[in-house]
Amino acid sequence: MRPLRLALTKGRLEKNTLALLESAGFDCTALREKGRRLVLPVGDALEIVLTKAADAVTYVEHGVCDLGVVGKDTILESDGHFYEILDLGFGRCRFALAAPKGTDFFSGYAEKTVATKYPNVTRRYFDAKGMDVRIVKIEGSVELAPLLGLSDGIVDIVETGETLRENGLCPIEDVAQISARLIVNTASLKLRKKEIETFADRLEAAVKKQEGEK
Amino acid sequence: MKNYAKSTPEGVRDILFEECLRRRDVSERLTGVFRSRGYNEVITPGIEYYDVFAAGDAAIPQEEMYKATDSRGRLIVLRPDLTPPIARLASVRLADADRPLRLYYDQTVYRSRRELSGRNDETAQAGIELLGASGLRADLEVICCAVDALAACTKRFRLEIGDARLFRALAEKLPLAPDERENIRQKIESKDYAALGDALDALPETVWTRAIRALPRLFGGVEVFSEAERFCAADPALSATLREMRGLYESLSWLGLGDRLMVDLGLVQRNDYYTGVVFSAYVEEHGDAVLMGGRYDDLLARFGQPMPAIGFAADVDALAKTVPAREPVVPEVLVHGAAGYELLAQRMIRRLTREGRTVESSVFETEEEARRYAARRGIAKVVVVDGKAEVEP
Repeated sequence: MRPLRLALTKGRLEKNTLALLESAGFDCTALREKGRRLVLPVGDALEIVLTKAADAVTYVEHGVCDLGVVGKDTILESDGHFYEILDLGFGRCRFALAAPKGTDFFSGYAEKTVATKYPNVTRRYFDAKGMDVRIVKIEGSVELAPLLGLSDGIVDIVETGETLRENGLCPIEDVAQISARLIVNTASLKLRKKEIETFADRLEAAVKKQEGEK
Repeated sequence: MKNYAKSTPEGVRDILFEECLRRRDVSERLTGVFRSRGYNEVITPGIEYYDVFAAGDAAIPQEEMYKATDSRGRLIVLRPDLTPPIARLASVRLADADRPLRLYYDQTVYRSRRELSGRNDETAQAGIELLGASGLRADLEVICCAVDALAACTKRFRLEIGDARLFRALAEKLPLAPDERENIRQKIESKDYAALGDALDALPETVWTRAIRALPRLFGGVEVFSEAERFCAADPALSATLREMRGLYESLSWLGLGDRLMVDLGLVQRNDYYTGVVFSAYVEEHGDAVLMGGRYDDLLARFGQPMPAIGFAADVDALAKTVPAREPVVPEVLVHGAAGYELLAQRMIRRLTREGRTVESSVFETEEEARRYAARRGIAKVVVVDGKAEVEP
């Protein structure tokens, strides 16, 4: 049987995951010296595939990767079908609704326009509020949209709130909390239960250890 | 305007030769098992009234259905599921028939999937429904039939069983609004331990919140039952359900599945018409369940004929990946009729095919062209009918 395959979101989550795997006792030499390779062995029993966030979800959903490390933001936007078994504790931030300083986003009955990179998250959030808003999908810096007068507010990932402040926006309400998660393909968890549970337990112990150190 | 005459719509495709053979092969293997157990085939229409699928708990998300209106403005859909149409048929057309009814189908279903997700909107399903029977015998019959059907395609599958009543009974113990209940069900379904914990933290802690917290982790072998007994003991109905499940599990152990038989007490499916045992099967070649089924004792009442029922559907396309490939047929003989002997050539072909041989007829003007074609196509023998002494192919 092939080794367990883990789709890992490139970039910041990759570094944190690497640290977590090493703290859990995995040999990540190949990952540290990866060069341009995208599929990397970690010991005999694990293989890591480096992907973009949304692709990690796709690979796991189709079962070509058994496991994935992705941000909750990607999970919420993807609406996919898989198991989400562990909060890895890092990559913490939040989805928030923000609007230009001094404006009252919720006032009045006129239709509001919201710019976002995450239309599904935004749609669900306003549906739950019973509000009918116009959603505009923006690919780059979402903060521009209200500055240029395209939207009344934005729904975006907020870490420190610095970018918002510098662009004259202020957070109004949290939409959801975000952190990195370990996701598992539904069939894989059933077919390779022991291996996956052992792996998840080792990561969970490492997460607890790291949280203890903080 | 863009002309789409040369493409197929998003989510559907043409299936050619080798893939066709595999799919027909799997269909034949599955339906052979169904027939051998006394099930009879029914064919339901490809389009149905929207109302068939819009009823209460059994509802299929409307964004997943392909819809249109008929000539009188009524809403119709391409069938997204086969159990509701069969429940309709059993309740209306077969209202007076002797029960139990044993029906099987081998048809396609249509779901509108997320764009570019790589999933098909049109999938072939083969399955059975046993209507008008409840109890261990009926459950065993259908699950054993599922095992036989899977085994007819692949030896490497896993079957897991669960019970829809567990979560339902536990959720009733908690002060939950319908949307909170649905939220918790989703967290159990996705085994999202962290979010499930958060949702339950908002409620006063009782033996029932602890039980629901444990639910998604309760999957595996027989040891799961002893763990579950700890929280089920406090409620007679729950203990009874658990005892029934254990009985079923132990009976199924007889099938010799070993560790390929699993229990998942957190099996809470989106398709909420299940009222008792639920089961799914997995194979390595496919990232999702290849067979799903369960007991749905309340569905038939919606169509005016309350009766217990249990059934399953197998994903024929997914199982087709597990059976060995078969090469498309290459004829053994090419028969070429010379000018004036065309009809005699057809007579020879008729004689040979009746003997069970595979024969192609040459459409070429000359024998030379026919021979070149046979070489390209890999046909070993060319027979020329030209009135000279007849060659025995």
